[in-house]
Amino acid sequence: MSILANKDTRVVIQGGQAGVNAARRMAEFCYLIKRPLNVEAFVYPPDAGKTNEIPYGSGLIAIPVYKSIAEATKNHPTINTSLVYIGADRAMKGGMEALDDAHIKVVSMITEGVPEKDAKILGAHARKLGKVFNGPSSIGIISAGACRLGVIGGAFDNLVLSKLYREGSFGVITKSGGLSNEIIWICSQFADGITTAIGIGGDAYPGTDYVSYLEMFENDPQTKAVVIVGEMGGDLEERAAEWYGAKKRRVKLIAVVSGFCQESLPKGMKFGHAGAKEGMKGEGSARSKSDAFKKAGALVPPTFGALGPAIKETYQELLKSGQVKEPVEPETLPRLPKTVEEAMKANEVMVAPLIRTTISDDRGDEPCYDGYPASELINKGYEIPHVIGLLWDKRLISKQEAEIIKRIMMLSADHGPCVSGAYATILAACAGIGLSQSVAAGMIMIGPRFGGAVTDAGRFFKYAVDNKMSVDEFLAYMKKNHGPVPGIGHRVKSLRNPDKRVKELVGYVKSLPIKTPCLDFALQVEQVTAAKKDNLILNVDGTMAAVLVDIGFPVDSLNGFFILSRTIGLIGHWVDQKRQDSRLIRLFDYLVNYAAPKRREGPPLE
Amino acid sequence: MAKVLEGPGMGLMKKWGIHVPNYVVVTSVDELTKLGQANDWLKKSKLVAKAHEALGSRFKLGLVKIDLDFKAAEAATKEMIGRQVGSITVTQVIVSEMIPHKEEYYCAVKSTREGSEILVANCGGIEVESNWERVKRLCLEIGQTPSADALEKLAKEAGFTGPLAKKMAEFAGKMFACFDNEDAQYLEVNPVVLREHDGELVALDAVTLLDGDAKFRHPDWNFAFAAEFGRAYSKQEEEVMAVDSKIKGSVKFIEIPGGDTAMLPAGGGASVYYSDAVVARGGKLANYAEYSGDPPDWAVEVLTEKVCSLPGIKNIIVGGAIANFTDVKKTFGGIINGFRKAKADGKLKNVKIWVRRGGPREKEGLDAMRALKDEGFDINVFDRNTPLTDIVDKALQVK
Repeated sequence: MSILANKDTRVVIQGGQAGVNAARRMAEFCYLIKRPLNVEAFVYPPDAGKTNEIPYGSGLIAIPVYKSIAEATKNHPTINTSLVYIGADRAMKGGMEALDDAHIKVVSMITEGVPEKDAKILGAHARKLGKVFNGPSSIGIISAGACRLGVIGGAFDNLVLSKLYREGSFGVITKSGGLSNEIIWICSQFADGITTAIGIGGDAYPGTDYVSYLEMFENDPQTKAVVIVGEMGGDLEERAAEWYGAKKRRVKLIAVVSGFCQESLPKGMKFGHAGAKEGMKGEGSARSKSDAFKKAGALVPPTFGALGPAIKETYQELLKSGQVKEPVEPETLPRLPKTVEEAMKANEVMVAPLIRTTISDDRGDEPCYDGYPASELINKGYEIPHVIGLLWDKRLISKQEAEIIKRIMMLSADHGPCVSGAYATILAACAGIGLSQSVAAGMIMIGPRFGGAVTDAGRFFKYAVDNKMSVDEFLAYMKKNHGPVPGIGHRVKSLRNPDKRVKELVGYVKSLPIKTPCLDFALQVEQVTAAKKDNLILNVDGTMAAVLVDIGFPVDSLNGFFILSRTIGLIGHWVDQKRQDSRLIRLFDYLVNYAAPKRREGPPLE
Repeated sequence: MAKVLEGPGMGLMKKWGIHVPNYVVVTSVDELTKLGQANDWLKKSKLVAKAHEALGSRFKLGLVKIDLDFKAAEAATKEMIGRQVGSITVTQVIVSEMIPHKEEYYCAVKSTREGSEILVANCGGIEVESNWERVKRLCLEIGQTPSADALEKLAKEAGFTGPLAKKMAEFAGKMFACFDNEDAQYLEVNPVVLREHDGELVALDAVTLLDGDAKFRHPDWNFAFAAEFGRAYSKQEEEVMAVDSKIKGSVKFIEIPGGDTAMLPAGGGASVYYSDAVVARGGKLANYAEYSGDPPDWAVEVLTEKVCSLPGIKNIIVGGAIANFTDVKKTFGGIINGFRKAKADGKLKNVKIWVRRGGPREKEGLDAMRALKDEGFDINVFDRNTPLTDIVDKALQVK
């Protein structure tokens, strides 16, 4: 047996994320005691119509979210309890809504910082209706082996350690949430565990006081003793003592009260829970409360530390008198399924990885590129080309190589608005398309005819050099197998109108003390092709390709240099259009050669 | 519970129709001088000047001056502003009109579990404290408003007669209205006086405690709450309060000068038991602190730095019960960072650290604490199998 929360308790949770978290904890308990989830519904207007997915064992249970308590109880008429996780400014309204619903008999409010007046109104309203209003600031209610309301009891391991899977003989009432767990644990270690533990909340005027719960415990035959963890302030402990001393009670009472330290603190200094404040005339002090309990015949250990032995003593007496028997522990208990991560950590499962990476890892506090922390690279003076080297070719390139890459990027960052890529980006920008899509539109243009020849140029020049071909052999090979040589030829530039970018790059690379077999070969090719036709010059793609092959970049990465550099320009064009607030553009008719058939009559559809 | 200084307290009473003396709150003599030009009463009436700070025994400290003319009030203001009393510097002075009177009475409204209680006595000032049995009460349930008849009956019980009984009843009714509508927890006027020239009851001094949790529905609460300690909050305390107001969960910190046992426990309930244990062992608390409700690690780190900065500490008690949902690993992470910073700043020399805790991820959290030993911390770590406050016993036994 238990009080307040039992196997028939069906719950609606009012509130958002905090309520969902509580439902998860409650599901863990339900799983431990092998009972279905006791949460039937949520009430949270912003999410009405959706469901919250609550893990139960290794599965997920979808719990519906409603707009109002009435809607929830109409759809789930077994609901009899509400947990309130609504913000302090709206908590009273929520609590009232729950109390006023005929299905609901118990409302427990977890919300902290609820105005005292609101708490009093809720408490009074519940008493008038003959219902229970527990809290505010309650950590929850738990009945061992039967029902958990809220996060009380803590993590799954603690539920097991505190033997909450089966009932004991001790009732617990505390103001403090943290201490409720501590007492539950103590009861499980020094005695046979608890029946029900209730957090009444640390506010000055909790909705339900110790006496109401003591009455309930007195009427619950399974509960043989009750532990009260009190605090200075208010008179709830005195009232509890008065109740206990008023007549012979069936339950034994063990009580401790905190706040003795107040006696030796500067006057007026108060701390702890909101309710922990001494009255104007010294009433409500820890000492007066403690004395009241002693006078009423309760067992009052001198310190919190002596609580365990006191509980043990009481338990031994109960055993001796035959009122309780040693509990029988179940042979096996459900174990909470581990997450994949937990199981892997414990070396219990092996999961075949889905992808494999060899370049970067950001699982630590910062990304590492090929093993080097980004911040270290920065602080040691490395630059973007080095990061490219690490991520594209898994090597730390030299300062000289980095300089070449930097120059390549600077030379190919943009080529004006008329080329395919920039034009596509501008067209998209003028149509009001966002940055990433507009840049992607420009990017799509990069291919065999625009900017995308770097890789192929590199591949063929390298092929020729590796196979020690002469220029004539190479040109013959290309003509027979592939067609025009990638990297050779330009739409507008020619021998007489050379591409300054090529000159610049070739000049720089040739000034360095490095071997450039590919570039040398490409220049020889140019001499032959340009002699045949004026514009068959080595273009910027071809030059970049030859140089990059010479400094060791893999052929497959070469187009990346153009894509990366040109992205700078494409972003610039998009921002430029945006800045000007450019309008939608379309082609003028006079720029189109309308070669379609003249207007004619369509035949009837057959 | 939030204490409100006299000025704003009087303002709230005035809002609910209670007669209060004319008053001004100033931060400099110049301000008072200017106000004197604008307000006739400052020149015409006899005045009272009081330091407008959360200070007890202001009279004894010479921070209340009565029966002043305007010149004398200016002089008193000048003298008071900037005066240092303990940790408090007087920054405000309230100058109010003296109300000539013969009789003094008492009226208060206080919060009770059922609702509230109206207290009335036909004596006031210090007389009421020594004659507490003359205070008569009217108990009200929440939601109940006292009837005019009930209030008059109360006034008569307290010894008021004739028209004065009616007046006192009205006064008490307004006090209740103020209490009820302003989410007050305690309102006290002592003394209530009978103003000679018009026979009205006037509130001469106000003690006002409001429910800070209800601030959200009182947009006109534009005043700061005062410390309830009879002292101002220290800079360190205010810094922790600023963090507390920003986070989910809570961190609390109060300094107690002269102590040598520093407290860094978790939980509003457990923290007081830890403090009790220190006192019971004959130790001297250097502070009160508490973190709870799964606060972010950085907030606990700030709290830890404050605790480590307390002067003359010998032990730090990092206690806590078995948490329900506060992540032990995460919050201990904040504490560990705080400890490391303090150590790097040359603090924590010869300071012993005592840890006891349980709850979600307790093993990881406690292991991380234990590992601090290797960094040269004098740290002793215990798990749930050591009773809650035993670490205090161990700490204070050590010579």
